[in-house]
Amino acid sequence: MTRDDLQEKILTILVQDFEFQQPGLDDNLRDDHGFDSIDAIELLGKIERILGVPLTREEKEKAMEIRTINDILDYLEAIQQGRAQ
Amino acid sequence: MKRRVVITACSAITPIGYGKKNIVDSLQQGRSGVKPLRDDGLLTGHIHSRVFGTVDYPIAYEFTRSQRKTMGPVAYYACQVARDVLAESGLSPDFISSGRLGVAFGSTHGSPTVQREIYKTFFQNLETEFSSIGAVDYLRSMVHTTAVNITRMFGITGRVIASSTACTTSSQAIGFGYEMVKYGMQDAMLCGGADEYDTTTVAVFDNLLACSVGYNDRPECTPRPFDKKRDGLVVGEGGGAVLLEEYEAARKRGATILAEVIGFACNNNGGDLILPNLQGITATLRLALTDAGINAEEVDYICAHATATKMGDIIESQAIEAVYGTGPHVTGLKSYTGHTMGTCGVIELIMTLYMMADGFLAPTLNLEEVDPRCGMVRHTPGVIAAKTKIASVQNFAFGGVNTCLLVKNGREAL
Repeated sequence: MTRDDLQEKILTILVQDFEFQQPGLDDNLRDDHGFDSIDAIELLGKIERILGVPLTREEKEKAMEIRTINDILDYLEAIQQGRAQ
Repeated sequence: MKRRVVITACSAITPIGYGKKNIVDSLQQGRSGVKPLRDDGLLTGHIHSRVFGTVDYPIAYEFTRSQRKTMGPVAYYACQVARDVLAESGLSPDFISSGRLGVAFGSTHGSPTVQREIYKTFFQNLETEFSSIGAVDYLRSMVHTTAVNITRMFGITGRVIASSTACTTSSQAIGFGYEMVKYGMQDAMLCGGADEYDTTTVAVFDNLLACSVGYNDRPECTPRPFDKKRDGLVVGEGGGAVLLEEYEAARKRGATILAEVIGFACNNNGGDLILPNLQGITATLRLALTDAGINAEEVDYICAHATATKMGDIIESQAIEAVYGTGPHVTGLKSYTGHTMGTCGVIELIMTLYMMADGFLAPTLNLEEVDPRCGMVRHTPGVIAAKTKIASVQNFAFGGVNTCLLVKNGREAL
């Protein structure tokens, strides 16, 4: 999937499932949208379905460093590239 | 340190209505909240009892997604009545988060709806590749989910007591909350219970031959506490909350005093986990009188547990006769709502408070011909005017747990 494809899917999830209001790609997820660690775990489950592959424990722990939507997209691209190799 | 404890706010979601007006109307008009059992696509077809005390009206919840994410259906009931109570109380936000307000709240077993989804994942739709169990499923389903969703939603930082003793869950919560305030551990306690729609509970009692099965085509005619033709209990759902406060502080801030909790007792039968026990129940009623420091003659209304099981009603009648004789009027309020399980104690207390405030007593619904074995007490003969001064709210649970709360009319408490 291209970054644009991933962005569309992630934004849809954040708006529909997490009820984000007008999300910006560089918004701080916690400060601007109240997105907490429980939400992060919930989102990782949805990301596994988007990618069609289970995430490893290490990959999930790496996700805890995410702060913005652009960080999510970087994270997804890195995982895709890693799996492709 | 022994302090007086008063009730300054209450709210209930019940099968016969939400809020005082609806509930009082139902009590005065003899309206039942028992409806046909809804099909859950799993157990309903295997259950003989096809009736349920149902909350079937819309409730305008206004919870944010952030609040909702850790809540199963049971926490919706709990947080809604807690919100009502805090709003009605007029307590300041500073006090609510001061650590001097605690929560005593419970449910029979958390959220069975969420637990059922977890088990479905395991046994039906196991997806080995992905994380199929949600991050918040435990928070939504755990046994103390009602209590801590309340603390989270309202920023309450005091003690948490999460009782979970089946039918005495919320009466224990109120009793333990009363003791917290009475002995100075907290200045106020938000207490109550909730239970959601759940066929698992119906199946459990159905298997034990304790559920009503003879009125499936006439749900409103069952349960029938103390009636000769009673044939068992009817499981129900709902939620209720009361705010307990230290008397002097409540008066000082001008709070409305609905009632004073003057006594509480809780004991165990010390043996069988299911059968009602005359010795244990009688002891509970006497212990509550001792705690309140009053004589039995001073109690003028009994809100009986009265589930409409064959033996339970007889044993309770015998206990009431032994302690109170034929003095106080007796009503089994589950005849209106069904047995709302963990929330029955608080719902029945609130219905009692409403009747005290409005100067009437409602009779046991469906009590057409008193079983002679339950005939030795003074059954409330119909909707009657009554200036109740002191009421006893009695609940008994699987596990042999018994509770009794004694409350004095707020007008008498001043």
